[in-house]
Amino acid sequence: MSSPAENTQLASHLFDELLGSIIMDVSSECHRIARLGLDRNLDDEEEELKLSAQARARVADPSNSEANSKYVVDIFGQTHPPVATEIFDCMNCGRAIVAGRFAPHLEKCMGKGRKARVKSTRSSTAAAAHNR
Amino acid sequence: MSTTLNPCKHLSDYKLRYGLKGFNMIQKWVKASPYRKTLMEKSKSEIPRCSFCCGYEGRLYICLICSSMSCSLSPESNHALLHTQNQIGHEIAVDIQRSELYCIACDDQVYDPDFDRAVMCEQIVGLGNGNLEGIRSNIKRKRLSSEAGLNSDFKNLKRVTVSGGGEWDHDRRISKSCFPVGLRGLNNLGNTCFMNSVLQALLHAPPFRNYFLSGRHNKDSCRKASNDRFCLSCDIEVIFSAVFSGDRAPYSPAQFLYSWWRLSENLACYEQQDAHEFFMSVLDRIHEKEGKTRNTSKDNPAGDCHCVVHRAFSGLLRSDVTCTTCGFTSTTYDPCVDISLDLNTNIDHTLHIASNKAQKSTDTGISTLTSCLDLFTRPEKLGSDQKLFCQNCQERHESVKQMSIRRLPLVLCLHVKRFEHSLARKASRKIDRHLQFPFSLDMTPYVSSSIVRKRFGNRIFAFEGDESDISTNFEVFAVITHSGMLESGHYVTYLRLNEQWYKCDDAWITEVEDEIVRSSQIYLVFYVQKPNEHKSGEDSGCHLRSASGESYKSVAGCC
Repeated sequence: MSSPAENTQLASHLFDELLGSIIMDVSSECHRIARLGLDRNLDDEEEELKLSAQARARVADPSNSEANSKYVVDIFGQTHPPVATEIFDCMNCGRAIVAGRFAPHLEKCMGKGRKARVKSTRSSTAAAAHNR
Repeated sequence: MSTTLNPCKHLSDYKLRYGLKGFNMIQKWVKASPYRKTLMEKSKSEIPRCSFCCGYEGRLYICLICSSMSCSLSPESNHALLHTQNQIGHEIAVDIQRSELYCIACDDQVYDPDFDRAVMCEQIVGLGNGNLEGIRSNIKRKRLSSEAGLNSDFKNLKRVTVSGGGEWDHDRRISKSCFPVGLRGLNNLGNTCFMNSVLQALLHAPPFRNYFLSGRHNKDSCRKASNDRFCLSCDIEVIFSAVFSGDRAPYSPAQFLYSWWRLSENLACYEQQDAHEFFMSVLDRIHEKEGKTRNTSKDNPAGDCHCVVHRAFSGLLRSDVTCTTCGFTSTTYDPCVDISLDLNTNIDHTLHIASNKAQKSTDTGISTLTSCLDLFTRPEKLGSDQKLFCQNCQERHESVKQMSIRRLPLVLCLHVKRFEHSLARKASRKIDRHLQFPFSLDMTPYVSSSIVRKRFGNRIFAFEGDESDISTNFEVFAVITHSGMLESGHYVTYLRLNEQWYKCDDAWITEVEDEIVRSSQIYLVFYVQKPNEHKSGEDSGCHLRSASGESYKSVAGCC
């Protein structure tokens, strides 16, 4: 009969064997990947992470804040109102609509949405006249 | 990083003298299963023991010349070494616990393609016919590390650009007075930033842009061909003309919105929409139309669609389901136009360890796009409630599923699943977590040949897809970001033209620095394939020749 001390020693020995085997498995796999050139370029990945961290730090810095772009001049030197003001004719009913309000208008016009009523009469003529 | 696989002197000598004899001998002992290591079993009834000490601990090796087994416990107790001293020339052995070649004289693991091929044959045969998918015959000589070679070549070409002509030029940024064509703001028509952001990306997807700008969608024949009054291709062509006309005043894509609403009744309403959902819907409508006019289904038995949508975005996904009991794998293929990725919240700490810098213990790490791709292609153990029927065992057993990409598309759209819908709680929420993404993406680790190769222990062997001409290197050209909350957020597209990033926020086009894009919350990322500058014929340094000079024999199916 083995004593508790011997059991402990056996268990410990067994554990060492198992652990050693697992470590060998991992080393063997990594060794193969490295030798056959299958490993991912860790340098590049680290570089990317570094750039990302730097970018976030710089952007988070309040002194660097980007102006709210709705009030800036775009690269072509133009400014635009927050709600688009171009006017064109609705393809469904023919009425002149402001661009920034086109979607809500169209929803009602086409009969979608809660308070909509399908706009009648001119829709068929308007669609036929529309250039495709 | 060295990619030449030069055998050590002992291995070359061994092969010169004994050729493939030893490799063929060990074949009968190979015991394999996918996702687990490949063992060698000399005897089915006895445990392997060292012939010197009868011990069974440490590493055990079988000599490839005389098949005697010896152990190696420590530098002091190395019976394998003893064997080489007793028997001169018996330096090459096999580690039976891993089926790896070992040179006892060099005290290092060594690699040989013929050995790997021998082991692979056994694995294929042993695991049943279900594992033939993706394992093709080795007709041409394969350069296993050619991808790695390409990676190091491209290291210096990080700043490769995508210019308007679809060609790659490495020129410096063009002067500010001359902006790229095709840059024009789009008016927000009332919560339509989801549409504007997707349109901006499509306007600059090279195959799409080239197709529509060269007038390949013919409006007249389109109208004649079908009775539909609404055609998104016609409308998008109008947008292309307008945006590339040189006029820089913001354009209102009203007709497009109208047509889309008429064609997608269920999605038509004035409210915030999901850009990804919109994108899928648009591709669908364009495909439907193009598919009718272009594909006469009889010449396409394989079902490959050649419409502009599929030529640009279509890829093929491979799904492998492996029985955990017998190792039999069943493979299915599914086409896709994009890849939706779950946000991987497991932080990769290994990179921090690799760098020798002191890291604060509070370092939380960053989620990366590549880790999401890793998650996508990771073997996933299916739950015990999802036991699938195994053809080999003829029973239901637990299985493991693994996804990979069989064929990469020309334009790769990656969708980050930031919107979580919980059926249980009947609520949706947005995951705001920042996701790092690379400007240059190498998809090699995610293609089927790499995934299957890895499953079989990365053996030197030809896997289906290795011979593909399609480059696995991609470069980003558009990023759609979402800011704000689930119900009330805002979509913005960042476009990369001639190495410069432009922010397309509805009507406002501005120039931004790299770091603005890097730090944004990405939702959809668009990459385009970088053409292969180095084609076959070059020797990128991996010389996998068997010592006897024989070319690889075909191993289709089994040996």
